[in-house]
Amino acid sequence: MKPRFHLRILWPFILILVASLAALALLFPLVHGSIFQQAVETGEEVNFVPIFTLVFLIVAIGLLVGLLINIYYTNQHLNVLEDLTDAAKELGEGKFTEIEIPKNVGDLPEIQELAEALQKTALQTEEQFNALTKERAMLSAVLDHMTDGVLIADDSGSVQLLNTAAERLFKVENEQAIGRSVVEVMRHYSLVELWEKTKNGNPETINMELGSAHKYLQVVGISLEKDLPGRTMLLFQDLTQTHQLEIVRRDFVSNISHELRTPIAGLKAISETLLDGALDDPPAARKFLVHMDNEVDNLTQMVNELLELSRIEAGRSNFEFQRVEPCQLLNTAFDRMILQAEKAGVTLMQDCPAGLPQVYADPVRISQVFVNLIHNAIKFTPNGGHIRLTVWRDDKQVVFMVKDDGVGVAKKDLKRIFERFYKADRARSGGGTGLGLSICKHIVEAHGGQIWVESEGNSGSQFFFTVPATAGGNIG
Amino acid sequence: MSRFTLDQEIRLVQDEILLLGSLVEQAILNSVDALQRRDATAAQRVYENDRKINAKHHAIENHILITFATQSPLASDLRFLAAMLEVNTELERIGDYAKGISKVAIHLADSDYAIPIREIQQMADLATSMLHRSLGAFVAGDTVAAHSIPEEDNQVDELYESIYRKIVEGMIKNPDTIDLGNQVIWVIHNLERTADRVTNICERVVFIVSGESVEFDVSDDEQLDQD
Repeated sequence: MKPRFHLRILWPFILILVASLAALALLFPLVHGSIFQQAVETGEEVNFVPIFTLVFLIVAIGLLVGLLINIYYTNQHLNVLEDLTDAAKELGEGKFTEIEIPKNVGDLPEIQELAEALQKTALQTEEQFNALTKERAMLSAVLDHMTDGVLIADDSGSVQLLNTAAERLFKVENEQAIGRSVVEVMRHYSLVELWEKTKNGNPETINMELGSAHKYLQVVGISLEKDLPGRTMLLFQDLTQTHQLEIVRRDFVSNISHELRTPIAGLKAISETLLDGALDDPPAARKFLVHMDNEVDNLTQMVNELLELSRIEAGRSNFEFQRVEPCQLLNTAFDRMILQAEKAGVTLMQDCPAGLPQVYADPVRISQVFVNLIHNAIKFTPNGGHIRLTVWRDDKQVVFMVKDDGVGVAKKDLKRIFERFYKADRARSGGGTGLGLSICKHIVEAHGGQIWVESEGNSGSQFFFTVPATAGGNIG
Repeated sequence: MSRFTLDQEIRLVQDEILLLGSLVEQAILNSVDALQRRDATAAQRVYENDRKINAKHHAIENHILITFATQSPLASDLRFLAAMLEVNTELERIGDYAKGISKVAIHLADSDYAIPIREIQQMADLATSMLHRSLGAFVAGDTVAAHSIPEEDNQVDELYESIYRKIVEGMIKNPDTIDLGNQVIWVIHNLERTADRVTNICERVVFIVSGESVEFDVSDDEQLDQD
């Protein structure tokens, strides 16, 4: 530091000097006059002591005053410096909001400047701190809310970071996991292997199933060597749903191929037989052609259901609602299915009371639902059984029921029977895609109604579905 | 001078046990999955992987014995390492169960025999979940979990009974299926034994923490079994 001298601090000294000289100038002649007068009066030698005393007193007083002024101002400045030092210390500790910069810093402009500079630093630091805090909060929010799991470990395998999604995946809490080994946290050899490979410079992406919960994950190993030397990151993407859909799709396709094979094989056998000579035997040929017709019907039904499914999936199925009589719906279904029921040796009955309100429905679709339910009933009711169609009003709904006294539905199947592709009794359900009931469910729910089944052991089943009634119009 | 301190060695062995646990869990799940999908290739893979499990079991055993010899652990450290020797063995046994299931899966791959696979899957999921948590309790010294997990063994036993009955009914109705039915019974037997071994692991947790040797209530089959 360069040695500097601030001239203005000399003003007290100049002042005292001037005052002393002035006092001297004033008092000296008086004292001088009086000592000479005294010499003349007493006849002794001139006594110079009073002059010395005067000068001594003036100097002493001057020094004293100077000292007092010095003490006062030095103390002031020390106080201010102390306050500023405290403020600087608080700044160092990060207490930006509690700093007190003294307002009155005395007369030294240097100290004033120091105070102002300190104030500015405090404000700037506070701003920077707030900005960093906000950024940190934003990053934290991203980590905590993202659906992928993130784990960061250092090169000794100690976990450094675990976000919320990863906590949920591995069923650990962040506080417990930090500092633990990757083996303890992830508990899976494939994941530990992935971490090791990535750490050694061979990052990979793997697909794996995690644990008894059968979560299907895609895990990406990323080396953070560039930005955070020694650290590795693992990213966990939960693809369980997608994987499930993939399995369902795969099973569906394999199921379809399997189901299609039977009617097609049947058709092939029949056409071969006809070509081989059965054509020349008209009654036999006729029998075969009837079989063929049936198989084509089966195939047609299957294809229709497939189309229906794809339409449902694409959200493109259109409904044409109109006011309809419930009994009309019942009658139509009855007429459609009576022949099939008779062929199967099952009695089909219908029961439609008067005074039912109209419903808003798509008659074609509702007919589809009936056909499906009655078709199932026929399949699961042995020869000699009965199927009854009824309808009644329940407050704001109209309830339709298809009741049979067939083999019923097993308890374990009751809840799942409306699921896509679910087949309760495989042996009896034979052909078919397992889509029928789920299509019914879709149709009924699109009408704003509900569909459900009740069944007690072996005494048959009752399938119910509701359609909302219209406000007025009790005709018939 | 050993390269690592006793604490570091114990941590290393612990990690190895957890990794073996993961291998064994996955083996059980994979074997049952292969059974469900009638996938002989996948089953074969599980069968062959048992070699890896045995190798790891052997390595852990060595590691623990060397630690005993070179570090002279005392008190709770000693109990912990001794208990890990036992857990190591239990895990290897469970690995053998998985191997047994995979053998059945290979045999049944080509048959049409209807396996009550959903319940078997439930059994496998429950047993592996119990195993997973018991190892977690082991590492954490969690005696609360160590007492509560063995109670889930009852659920496993219930599933066993239910599946057993179904299979026997099927065998009575159709004697042609006796051989295949028997093999499926072997599968559920293995899963039930897995759950029993988990109970043993939980008993060891209590031992490590308190020095007490406890016996948790096991199923009746235990008394007749010479496994």
